[in-house]
Amino acid sequence: MERRTFITTALAGTACLALGVNYYSTSDISVNRQQDSKHRLLFSVLVPVFLDGALPDVAALKRDAINRTLDTIEHTISILPLDTKAEIEQLLEMLEGRLGLLILTGSVTPLMMRNQAELVDMLQSWRSSYLDLMVTAYQGLREIVMASYYASPEHWSRLHYAKPSFLEDMN
Amino acid sequence: MAIKDPVKAGIDSGWAHLNAASLTENQTLEADVVIVGSGAGGGVAAEILTQAGLSVIIVEGGPLKSSSDFNMEERRAYPDLYQQAAGMKTTDKAIGIFQGRAVGGSTTVNWTTSIRTPEPALEYWAQAKSVQGLSKAELEPWFDKMEQRLNISEWAYAPNRNNQALKQGCEQLGWEYTVIKRNVAGCWNTGYCGMGCPVNAKQSMLVTTIPSALEAGATLVSQAQVVKLEHHKDKIFAVKAQTVDGNMRPLGVELMFKAKHYILAAGAIHTPTIMLRSKLPDPHEIIGKRTFLHPTLLSGAVFSDPINGHSGAPQSIYSDEFVWQDGADGELGYKLEVPPIHPVLIASKTIGYGQSHAQLMEKFNQLQVTIALVRDGYHENSQGGQVRLTDHGSTLDYPLTDAFWRAARRAYASMAELQFAAGAEQVLPISEGMPYLSSWQQAKKAIAEMELAPLKTVVASAHVMGGCAMGEDLKLSMVNSFGESHYFDNLSVMDGSIFPTSLGANPQLSIYGITARNATRLAEKLTA
Repeated sequence: MERRTFITTALAGTACLALGVNYYSTSDISVNRQQDSKHRLLFSVLVPVFLDGALPDVAALKRDAINRTLDTIEHTISILPLDTKAEIEQLLEMLEGRLGLLILTGSVTPLMMRNQAELVDMLQSWRSSYLDLMVTAYQGLREIVMASYYASPEHWSRLHYAKPSFLEDMN
Repeated sequence: MAIKDPVKAGIDSGWAHLNAASLTENQTLEADVVIVGSGAGGGVAAEILTQAGLSVIIVEGGPLKSSSDFNMEERRAYPDLYQQAAGMKTTDKAIGIFQGRAVGGSTTVNWTTSIRTPEPALEYWAQAKSVQGLSKAELEPWFDKMEQRLNISEWAYAPNRNNQALKQGCEQLGWEYTVIKRNVAGCWNTGYCGMGCPVNAKQSMLVTTIPSALEAGATLVSQAQVVKLEHHKDKIFAVKAQTVDGNMRPLGVELMFKAKHYILAAGAIHTPTIMLRSKLPDPHEIIGKRTFLHPTLLSGAVFSDPINGHSGAPQSIYSDEFVWQDGADGELGYKLEVPPIHPVLIASKTIGYGQSHAQLMEKFNQLQVTIALVRDGYHENSQGGQVRLTDHGSTLDYPLTDAFWRAARRAYASMAELQFAAGAEQVLPISEGMPYLSSWQQAKKAIAEMELAPLKTVVASAHVMGGCAMGEDLKLSMVNSFGESHYFDNLSVMDGSIFPTSLGANPQLSIYGITARNATRLAEKLTA
């Protein structure tokens, strides 16, 4: 079955969002100023899992890094080519819907209600799945999160990487 | 003192540049020749045709960006300068493709490696693909000309540590290696070629042939995405384009270009896409087929000393030890090179997440990366991919075949052997399930048994070729050996899409040299 058909079929008949900003907003994630932005809360759950060990240890710095990454993810998705954007939107909407969650993760428990170990299990099961749909879901989310995090110069300190400063010095 | 931006200065001096995104009404523009695309093919053709006294319009879908825009950050460079923000993939998402998208095409973002078309490729084209007049001797003056024009010469400075490891490994093992020729003038050796040269040292089309054509009166239209060619009988009579924003989203204004002669130079994905959308006659169903990628494997190695692979000329050494080892159409060969190492590139082209990935990234400056570019398109089990139209553009199906995976396994072994010989403490083949390997003996066994599969094994490409092959046999080719259409009197193709196979070498100089030859012949015809 083609991926798009699969996803469309899976979504048919459900408009029930399992992930509600009102229920699950936390003080760590700046969702309030972005309540209308799509998928921010979903990524706020996934980003700390993908970036475990990479994010700063200090709480305030960690929160800033997550929010910065969420901003970048939003921008990244906004500039994707239409075909790719449609695919990723479908995946994200599935992860925000009960039926989609059931199909992709075998459970209707919203991602926000799952602990770190459960989220790691979910990613691992996609990563090693025999279904290309699951593997591409894992890889698509992974690539967006990794690229969005490491795009920011603020996140390079652990890498000991910095771009040359001669341009700034000359201006 | 700030770096001078020759493009900005040229525009201020009155170059005819039209950013189509600024248009509010449909327009028609006319010239002797309309060139679709401003990369290696379009740029060289524009200069040669303009010098011959012809009026030329260069139509480019991407934006005009220049050194003042190049801030050495991936977050700006990828969305501005690469197709699909450097996230383009084959249909099944198994291969990531890096292809340029701004004025200058991939030459604006490539790593400057300049290699003449390998002789075995030319011989194979003549013998198996009905290509005529492209022997090594016949091409020599054209390569001489373009090497001179673009200041292509052997890199005279010490390779950076990333390339040095490739050299050391080859020396230890007695393998062939070559110091790379680069198209640079006054290079600052910083290592940011892939994000656009901030000091205009790279002799890309953006700072050489296109400025020269504009100085001589050519017109550049950017952010105009060509939709189709209008044709009747054996003539093309117009090119239709639409204005697009910086992310290639249509803005609703149409442009029409009319000319005596039309050149497609939109690259090996977009040239076939335009042909397919235009429904050009194709009795032998060739358009968009046999598209080649040099599908590339990556091998990471951890060294005890700093590698700093982000710093210094990104490519200065390659090894051809394994490219032609089994003959042109024998088992697939592979070329060994190294890539520049920058955060987004490495973070996304490695595997895993969480702690294991974070630990890999913490070794960022100790990381040496070797790549193996597999030479596709010769072996009977390596027939390349196919470009197909989609609702919003096109997609490339590229099956990774058994012959490819056999080459991949050999390539991982060669890379690991080389990296250990160069002093690596650990080697990490970039494929799911592979651990850090601590010795060549351990690596040899693990690589012999490793699982290789699409989506599990990281495969990337920066070289898109084929899809509109040249040759004299109509059953094998869309254009003749001069890039002239078999079916239209006034249509030529001048880009990497005309290659009947991959090259087994980085493609820019092949495109420059062959385009110089073909555009010179076209100029003579059009001015006769």
